[in-house]
Amino acid sequence: MLDFLELTLVKAAPLIFAALAGVLCERSGILNIALEGGLTAGAFAAVAVAYATGNPLLGLAAGMLAGALLCGLLGVAATRFGVNQIVAGTGLNLLAAGGTAFGIVVLFGTPGASPEVPALGARGEGILVAVALASSFALAFALDRTPWGLRLRACGENPHAVLAAGLDPRRIRVLATLAAGALAGLGGVFLSLGELDLYSDGMTAGRGFIALAAVIFGRWTPLGACAAALAFGALSALQFVLQRAGIPSELMQALPYLAALLALTGIAGRARPPAADGVPFLDA
Amino acid sequence: MTDGASLALEARGIVKRFGSVCAVDGVDLDLVRGEIHALCGENGAGKSTLARIVAGTLAPTSGSVLRTGAVGLVHQHFELVDRLRVWENVVLGREPRRGLRLDETAARERVRMLAASYALDVDPDAIVENLPVGIAQRVEILRELSREPTALVLDEPTAVLAPGEIDALFATLRELAARGAAILVITHKLAEVIAHADRVTVMRAGRVVMRSATAATSLEAIARAMVGGEVPGLAPRSGVAPRPAFAARALSAGGGAHALRSATFEVRGGEIVGIAGVEGNGQSALTDAIAGMLPYEGEMSLGEQPLRGDPAARIAAGVRIIPQDRQREGLVLGWSIVDNVALGDQTRPPLARGWTIDRNAAAALATQIVERFDVRTPSIRTSVASLSGGNQQKVVVGRALAHAPRFVVAYQPTRGIDVGAAALVQSRLIEARNAGTAVLLVSFELDEVLALSDRVLVLYRGAIAGAFERAAFDRARIGALMAGAA
Amino acid sequence: MNARSATIFAVALLVIAAAAMALAGANPLAGFAALLRGALGGEHQLSETLVQTTALLFPALAVAFAFRAGLFNIGAEGQLIVGGLCAGLIGAALAAPGWIAIPAILCAGTAGGAFWGFIAGALRARFGGNEVIATLMLNIVAALLANYLVSGPLHAPAATGAETAVLPAGSWLPVLLPGTRLTIALLLALALAVFLRYLFARTVFGYGLRAAGDAPAAAARAGIDLRRTALVAMTLSGAIAGLGGATLVAGVLHRFNVALSPGYGFIAIAVALVGALDPLRIVAAAFAFGILQSGSLTMQVLAHVPKDVVSFVEGLAIIGLSAQRLTGTRDA
Repeated sequence: MLDFLELTLVKAAPLIFAALAGVLCERSGILNIALEGGLTAGAFAAVAVAYATGNPLLGLAAGMLAGALLCGLLGVAATRFGVNQIVAGTGLNLLAAGGTAFGIVVLFGTPGASPEVPALGARGEGILVAVALASSFALAFALDRTPWGLRLRACGENPHAVLAAGLDPRRIRVLATLAAGALAGLGGVFLSLGELDLYSDGMTAGRGFIALAAVIFGRWTPLGACAAALAFGALSALQFVLQRAGIPSELMQALPYLAALLALTGIAGRARPPAADGVPFLDA
Repeated sequence: MTDGASLALEARGIVKRFGSVCAVDGVDLDLVRGEIHALCGENGAGKSTLARIVAGTLAPTSGSVLRTGAVGLVHQHFELVDRLRVWENVVLGREPRRGLRLDETAARERVRMLAASYALDVDPDAIVENLPVGIAQRVEILRELSREPTALVLDEPTAVLAPGEIDALFATLRELAARGAAILVITHKLAEVIAHADRVTVMRAGRVVMRSATAATSLEAIARAMVGGEVPGLAPRSGVAPRPAFAARALSAGGGAHALRSATFEVRGGEIVGIAGVEGNGQSALTDAIAGMLPYEGEMSLGEQPLRGDPAARIAAGVRIIPQDRQREGLVLGWSIVDNVALGDQTRPPLARGWTIDRNAAAALATQIVERFDVRTPSIRTSVASLSGGNQQKVVVGRALAHAPRFVVAYQPTRGIDVGAAALVQSRLIEARNAGTAVLLVSFELDEVLALSDRVLVLYRGAIAGAFERAAFDRARIGALMAGAA
Repeated sequence: MNARSATIFAVALLVIAAAAMALAGANPLAGFAALLRGALGGEHQLSETLVQTTALLFPALAVAFAFRAGLFNIGAEGQLIVGGLCAGLIGAALAAPGWIAIPAILCAGTAGGAFWGFIAGALRARFGGNEVIATLMLNIVAALLANYLVSGPLHAPAATGAETAVLPAGSWLPVLLPGTRLTIALLLALALAVFLRYLFARTVFGYGLRAAGDAPAAAARAGIDLRRTALVAMTLSGAIAGLGGATLVAGVLHRFNVALSPGYGFIAIAVALVGALDPLRIVAAAFAFGILQSGSLTMQVLAHVPKDVVSFVEGLAIIGLSAQRLTGTRDA
């Protein structure tokens, strides 16, 4: 049982990070479907830097930075150029996938995977899990109880009101995407340096999209998304058990996505996303 | 000139260009403390743009604005966060803190004190989207007042208020002025200007064409300055024997504060029935129910037949709606005039021929509308986005009236367009009436309703509060009913 | 985007691509040369480029179709896979003369893709569910489903990989150029492009679709049923992508396996955008991207540039093109 709990937390941790990133972005008004790209960029950058410097902590920092840059690019494109955020997000995912596959060959010589690198170890993995859970509470507190949280929420509902109040909604949104990207990057770091000690092509395996599902299930709240991510982590942990019982692994893997599809029918209640989610804010 | 110590704000040589359009073309403006200053002009004259520049939310292309302190701006369409509470909206950007947290108690207290100080009663914990429009306006005013501005700009503040609320608003503004603020009210309601403002400035086509103390001028003079000439007259009304056309029985639609409650009325062919009322009293629910866009209870009929079904069915039955928001609900902005005139009729002859759109028929219709409605455009293939508001509205109205509909609902048909276009649209509606169409006019401009209608019904809180024949129009009584008098 | 910014953008992409090649230790000029030679350097190379063009053209038309109706179909990849899967299953099971089998296979693929698009369309029409999320989720479900079926129950006994049995030779799409993989699928795709152009420009149905995409509020008031339009558009979009998957199975691979698509459904988004959602321009865009796809392998082999640089640049292209207004800016 304890093993199952532990496995759940390990499976859930990257999802929690990515889902929190999603919540942060969408509450500020940016629809971010590039969480997968953020995870990918973070996972790869962490390994690359750990390989180059021999220091997994530097790798961790690099992973957060890479994720921040990727999502920050979305934030800037959305606020400065009013781009279509879904299309831009798709582009970012493709960019991350291609860029990291390219990077593997350039940095490590052979395609497919990196060699093993100094990693965070079991203790580091455990600390990151705790950080993931703590971040959920911290983000919930920040959104509901601090001035910056109020401003960010206002941005996601009506950026014109934020402008009228004398603030700059664009700046708030860019900052939100940077912070979110750092979180997503951290999720990637967990995958490559926490759970393992290498980067392999496609290791994010669609977790960024499961995180999107968690955001919806969690009604765009940090604690809700965290709970949903934990549930998906439990599903993932269950997979090994149930596989022995003859249930195909693909079915288990598909469950989070099928659950998300079900959520779209409103069966989990109809929660409204932030009113200005994904709507470009263009001011003369 | 006014002496410097009493000036709250001085704007000189303000120019603002948007691409090739010059919205403000060299304007000077002084706001004096203790004064209520009215800024008048037609739509498109540049008033709202100037207001934003004066308030500091928009940068001018050239020119300077000297401010002695903060300038608050209350928008025509409020910029509030609907899902947040009143206190959250008011303190946004200036939040009281306790360490890292928001100090909610202090925030609520601040709102209460402000509200009491200016007699603008409001519940700090109410969620803005549940508030009636007049109360929501107070929230925006409070937000601006919390900045302790030396000047307060209000853009068309009385458009959403009942006559009684308008008086209360101006009393508040007078109080603010007495405490040393300079007030700038942008309005096209000249009666209010004469009654409440100390000074008036009139803009036309981006320039100032008149400045005066209100005591030294008249409503007619201001109107003439706004238009730059005489206001065009309306088409004559011919004597028509009305025939049964549209009837609504116990019609209820929508929910909450803006619902329609059990309305029963008729509009006969050959008459214009006007719905008088302040915005937010059920007009949208009424028009959307007739259009088939909103579920409703009760019955509607057109002639002998019941009127039922989705918008397509109603259009086919001969009902045409002129929507309130031409750009969003009436036109596809990126398309040409030709493509737009087919909208609504695209599945039937003459505009459809089997599976395809008959492009010649569409072009012919477009040409006809452009001619009959004097649409100023280089060609029928021009994108409607490049037309002025008035010309866009003419396309929408022209399309609605093109196939001799049995019943037309005109919802704010002259909103936001210049006086010339407005007069033309109104004349065409009268002509449709003369030709036997039943016309339901829903407008927030009481003057328009009174000028065009054969009968007036007053809508208050979703219910019909009174009915008046043209011969017996009583402006005072109608205004009182609009505000909820018994 | 106007000609000037388009040129600047294209040049910027070339510069970035060159920088990436240099980073990989290769000579950028050699890299570009190898790419172009690999794509256009001979009859065989050109045929391969056209094969890739066809593979991209179907999903790009599918994506553009949905985008024009205001729907973000990010699920062309999944619809393509399901279409290919259905085509592979029917094809392997059907023993009939070509003139029966081939249409049946193509129809199966079309139906499979249509069903996959229908799911997302129904979620949107009936429940208001966001089709972006729906199609993203369905992509992954499609891959998992295909994986499961062809590794397990429907695995071809004789096959080494996760795939169905090989289609009988009579069910293979007729080849246009002997000795190449170029089949009539290209003609089918071109015909489809022309048809879609006509559909959008001239028909009542196309008018309604465009209105729903460009001005939904005005369209609803004009009697256009937005929900039904969403459902139909997503279904037809999926059908087109599914047809593309079927042509890959019947024309290129002659079986279905899980490696059917190297991400055609995603690259197709770039193709649709470069073609500004216009079917005929999309043909040209598909050819350009086809060059990238087919030349990239040569580039990797000859100039030692990892071919992933192409997806990297394609990703950048999509980001740049995301500034383009997708709806409301054009007549038919």
